[in-house]
Amino acid sequence: MSFLNTTQLVLLERYLDGTSMRQTLVATNVANVDTPGYQTRDTDFRGQLQRALSGDDNDVLVPFVMPVRGLISRPDGNNVSVDRESLLLAEIQLQYKAAISILRAKFALLSTAIKEGQP
Amino acid sequence: MNLFRVMEISGSALLAERMRAEVVSANLANAETTRVDGGGPFQRMHVVFGARPVAHPSFGMSLASFGDLHAENVRVVGLVGDETPPIQRFEPGHPDADTQGYVSYPAINPAEEMINLMGAARGYEMNASAITSIKNMIQSAITILG
Repeated sequence: MSFLNTTQLVLLERYLDGTSMRQTLVATNVANVDTPGYQTRDTDFRGQLQRALSGDDNDVLVPFVMPVRGLISRPDGNNVSVDRESLLLAEIQLQYKAAISILRAKFALLSTAIKEGQP
Repeated sequence: MNLFRVMEISGSALLAERMRAEVVSANLANAETTRVDGGGPFQRMHVVFGARPVAHPSFGMSLASFGDLHAENVRVVGLVGDETPPIQRFEPGHPDADTQGYVSYPAINPAEEMINLMGAARGYEMNASAITSIKNMIQSAITILG
């Protein structure tokens, strides 16, 4: 185990991958808010993350995309909810930023070690 | 996974919503047009949106994103004319009046067009805020370096 290849860093990287993939889906949903027949889709992010954290599944996060259930369809067959998507947009952005902050703190620690504690 | 591609998706929606607004404005502007090049009154137009998988410019990029092909751009897939028959108004002095004195006006309801225009504007705003959010994410990723 080297300084640059710790489990935490690998997991953080996966977390960033997962959040940015989810953001892609949310952006897709928002972009197709007026497309007739379009169905909202999402990924089981929480389940995937838990699997990754428990270590059962050591592969790279494989996107598992599925349609979202329980949303009300409009007469044109589209079921994109603007409220749901804007909420997710903000939520995922914050999750991503939080992971980046932790990553920065890790690197700052490493940098301190490299400089032997000198500022 | 590339965050810049997410911006491309939202960008495609900006383009589509703008085209919708253009077509609706053309309908509004021509609500009283009784003469077009092909003859007859102006025909009301509709845009049709469709979801299209994101195209990859190169083989390498499609290989890199293999497995996440669920992202879809929005595209204007068609421009359809409204087949509603024109409204007949009795105006015998009008240069486009027929032999009975009726003039054909396009079947355009300004209120309906205004609502359509508002929908396009709100869709545009929504996607613009999605772009802002993605821009923030990219910016915070850049701060890892510094």
